[in-house]
Amino acid sequence: MSEQTPGKKRKQKVRLELTRRDFLTLAATAAGSAVAAQALTTGPLSPFSSLKQSQLAGEDIGGHAAARHQWGMVINLDTCIGCEYCQRACSATNDVAPEAPWNIVQEAESAAGRRYFFSRPCLHCQHAPCVEVCPVQATYVREDGVVIMDDDRCIGCRYCMVACPYDARRFNWGERQDVNEFVPTWGIAEVERRPRGVVEKCTFCVHRIDSGLANGLVPGVDPEATPACVNICPVDARVFGDLKDPESRVAKLIEDSATFRLREELGTRPSVYYIPPKEGV
Amino acid sequence: MTTSTAPLPRRFPLSPRAGGWVGFLGLALLVGLTAAILVFARGLILTNLSNGVPWGLWITIDLSAIALGAGAFTLSAVVYLFGLKRFQPIVRLAVFVGFIGYTTALLTLVMDIGRPDRFWHPWVYWNIHSVLWEITWCITIYLAILMVEFLPVIAELKFFDRFPKLHHWANRLHGAAPVLAVLGLLISLLHQSSLGATYGILRSRPIWFKPSMPIMFIISAVAVGPAVTMGVAHVVEWIRRKPTVPHDILRTIARTSGLGLLLYAYIKFWDLAAVTYYGRTPGSDQAFSILRDFTPYGFGFWVGEIVIGILLPVLFFLMPRFNRRPAYLVLGAFLAMVGVVFNRWNVTVSGLVVPLDYAPGVDLSAVLAKPYVPNLTEWAIALGVLGYALMLLTLGVRYLPLFRTSEDGKH
Repeated sequence: MSEQTPGKKRKQKVRLELTRRDFLTLAATAAGSAVAAQALTTGPLSPFSSLKQSQLAGEDIGGHAAARHQWGMVINLDTCIGCEYCQRACSATNDVAPEAPWNIVQEAESAAGRRYFFSRPCLHCQHAPCVEVCPVQATYVREDGVVIMDDDRCIGCRYCMVACPYDARRFNWGERQDVNEFVPTWGIAEVERRPRGVVEKCTFCVHRIDSGLANGLVPGVDPEATPACVNICPVDARVFGDLKDPESRVAKLIEDSATFRLREELGTRPSVYYIPPKEGV
Repeated sequence: MTTSTAPLPRRFPLSPRAGGWVGFLGLALLVGLTAAILVFARGLILTNLSNGVPWGLWITIDLSAIALGAGAFTLSAVVYLFGLKRFQPIVRLAVFVGFIGYTTALLTLVMDIGRPDRFWHPWVYWNIHSVLWEITWCITIYLAILMVEFLPVIAELKFFDRFPKLHHWANRLHGAAPVLAVLGLLISLLHQSSLGATYGILRSRPIWFKPSMPIMFIISAVAVGPAVTMGVAHVVEWIRRKPTVPHDILRTIARTSGLGLLLYAYIKFWDLAAVTYYGRTPGSDQAFSILRDFTPYGFGFWVGEIVIGILLPVLFFLMPRFNRRPAYLVLGAFLAMVGVVFNRWNVTVSGLVVPLDYAPGVDLSAVLAKPYVPNLTEWAIALGVLGYALMLLTLGVRYLPLFRTSEDGKH
């Protein structure tokens, strides 16, 4: 910066005095910064390497390349009739409070004016904003892609609810006293009620997946190992399965039909794919 | 205590005015305590918070109290780091006000989390990716720094004269003030801005997701925090009818705060222009039109944040005809404080009441109705923590040597 450019002549000459000591200091600083930068971006110290290197790379569908399964769902908006059975079966099986369902069903209208029903469980993002913001790692992405809560660790700060782009999280504002109106008509409660003061969410019925796998069943094929909302759907609008298994129904549906995911531009990489409603009369 | 040269007849008989003040504080604390017991017993169901708007008044208090306590790190850094020893007489008060602000925030936070019994979890279960985790750590460490900074003041109490060793250690601690100031500055810069980042990093909320969020949080805190300390010094002087901090120092702080607020206004202007005029995205456009049509946040922004929080304080702090008179400085500090509270409220609630637009085709007007107005329980807790803050201030002013530096008098 002190050298004179030939085009600009200045009256005062500024001389750059560089002692050997200065030079060595500068060189060491530069080398040190380069090493630090390297370590922080790709090396073992990198904050990106520990949790989600593979997610950031985005080379495969799954967040964990080593995991055997990657559970996912396809929801066909074209066939959904809006019966809300999925919501009821879910609320019964997971003993969810009726006023704060994990599964929601809403009326919607396509750009061309066609009425259809939109529904959503938790989307089980592989790059989940809720997981990123939780101060105590009470919510996390499992190796098989399922995003679950640790009720014993959650402090109830509700930052995950604020961060979730899909409104998929519910808080236990008080101790629940209600009798679940959906039990036993729509199923029986298979998991404990969550205590007061923690956040809860759809689990892809992870208790069924785990026990099913342990008993040699295939989630998405055998009903005992498949989420309640999928089993109950009368029109087969929800399909569940292993996204990593090319022979699974979900993988084939994604392969064969045009699908989209919600707010893909956020980079959350949800595990739930949607088949859009067909246009036309 | 050197400050009490006038002979105090007795310690405890109260004037009617002081009696009324103590009565008010007692009432506020009683109301707050009652509400706190109810909330601990029955849970957050007693609030107006909901799954749609899970944060509200209490988070606003947290954010505001921490911002208003920023005078502590700013003025400590000014004296011990930048060597402007002239401001030494206000450092103790600033640290004390900071301590009040941070403990107020922590009290409110304990009320606000669903599982107060697990308040220690962030210290044990780390998620280094979470800004909230980082903030928890910073606030813990910074509160410890504030306490260490303040220990020498407490050690000066007459009560502790019976332990001469204590004085010795307190003086040692005072020697560490520059180190503490550096640490405090770093940690405060980090968490004061991270509080803004709490919102700024959430890419799903179009009106929060911007890099200016942490910057606006820290600039407003650095501008207003010292002004609050300045206002407190003046008010204490009126009440005690004894000088506290030299007026030229207070005036300089006010003028610096005025400049800080101008910088804040400048960045706010470009932020507003960038978000609403130049960078209109469908998401932010829709969010703003919903806010404009269905909520009072536009009014709150222009009147609460801009006029009350910036314009009037800047006039009072920077125009000589105003800033020579303490009454205007106190009014300016108060208005700037109100402006910060308005800002934290607007940021928090306006971001949450706009429904998330994640499903194509779903008509947002169906889910639009999620207004949030705090209910009595929430206000009762707010009154309680205000009572706590004012009680601590009153006790400190009454019993602690806040307005004497260890440089003068002793040794």
